[in-house]
Amino acid sequence: MDPKTSVGFLLPLAVGIAAVGSALGLGRAVGAAMEAMGRQPEAADKIQTGMIIGAAFIEALTIYALVAVILIK
Amino acid sequence: MSNLLVPFFLLVGQTEHETAQATADTLARAAEQAPEFPNVIEILHQLSHGQSSIINLLFDYRAVVFATIVWLLLGFLAFLAYRKRSLIPEGVQNLLEWVVESLSNMVVNVLGEQGRRYVPFIGTLFIYIFCMNLLGLVPGMFSPTSKLNTTLALAICVFLYVQFTGLRNFGVLGYIYHLAGSPRSAVEWFLVPLNLPLHIIGELARPVSLSLRLFGNITGEDMLLAIFATLGVSILSFTRLPIGLPLQLPFIFLAILMSFVQALVFALLTTIYFSLMSSHDEERH
Repeated sequence: MDPKTSVGFLLPLAVGIAAVGSALGLGRAVGAAMEAMGRQPEAADKIQTGMIIGAAFIEALTIYALVAVILIK
Repeated sequence: MSNLLVPFFLLVGQTEHETAQATADTLARAAEQAPEFPNVIEILHQLSHGQSSIINLLFDYRAVVFATIVWLLLGFLAFLAYRKRSLIPEGVQNLLEWVVESLSNMVVNVLGEQGRRYVPFIGTLFIYIFCMNLLGLVPGMFSPTSKLNTTLALAICVFLYVQFTGLRNFGVLGYIYHLAGSPRSAVEWFLVPLNLPLHIIGELARPVSLSLRLFGNITGEDMLLAIFATLGVSILSFTRLPIGLPLQLPFIFLAILMSFVQALVFALLTTIYFSLMSSHDEERH
């Protein structure tokens, strides 16, 4: 196969694979945060802050894949 | 952006000048081809065919130009609110007081009462980044944060200020002790040769991750909008009329949300870095 064609096939696939991992992690994190907020509504602010920071770290992994793809393209 | 990446490639091991030059050329071409909404300076650049030296300069520094537009707007807004201020706020003053109060509460929630001195820095970062992100949604404008130069500059500012805070709070020896993982027992002292490099790498990785996160999110968001707008135009291209379906409309709302969340994440992570550098060991254990 032409190298350019294979790169064209594989780059979106790479972001997709990275997104699957991120999605699983985010699902767990946000689910647990929601559960905690439901049990303790008065602590919702603190839980939300922690959740957003954690979500940013998880999501950053997909963004690294995206940045790599944009640069390699 | 490509100029900035060349040193990285040199570090990786491509020491031959020609290879690095070829890589830089490829990267530059890839960056030029990225689908983006046209902005005012780009249109002027294409109309002048690269003949006018002023427009060429503006085109090379377009991220700086649009960032300047943002801070001029913000400064004008602050001037408006400050000029006619009253004890019972109205209009612009009311809005800005609400913004400042919310940001102050956010920082104090994480850092405690002694963190109030960082509110101006973190609040400025939040407002500035939020407005730069939103500028990409204005027709004819573009987000300065979708260039790695801007985000890296912001992240380096944060890095330097955080390290300075660490040095001021702990002193030079205390800072090195903190970086070594605050060893107490014999086992912890034994692990210092492992802990110290890990902490130093961790500190150095922060500006990279901060800047890449913001850059990737905003670039991806702007490219998504441009791709869907192109799709909307090409669907109706058989009519030979200058019209298109607004397919990017739902993603604009997503983009507004993402702009807010990314600015919030940048500000919150900065707050966390300050809290890591200012917390004393007695409080933690």
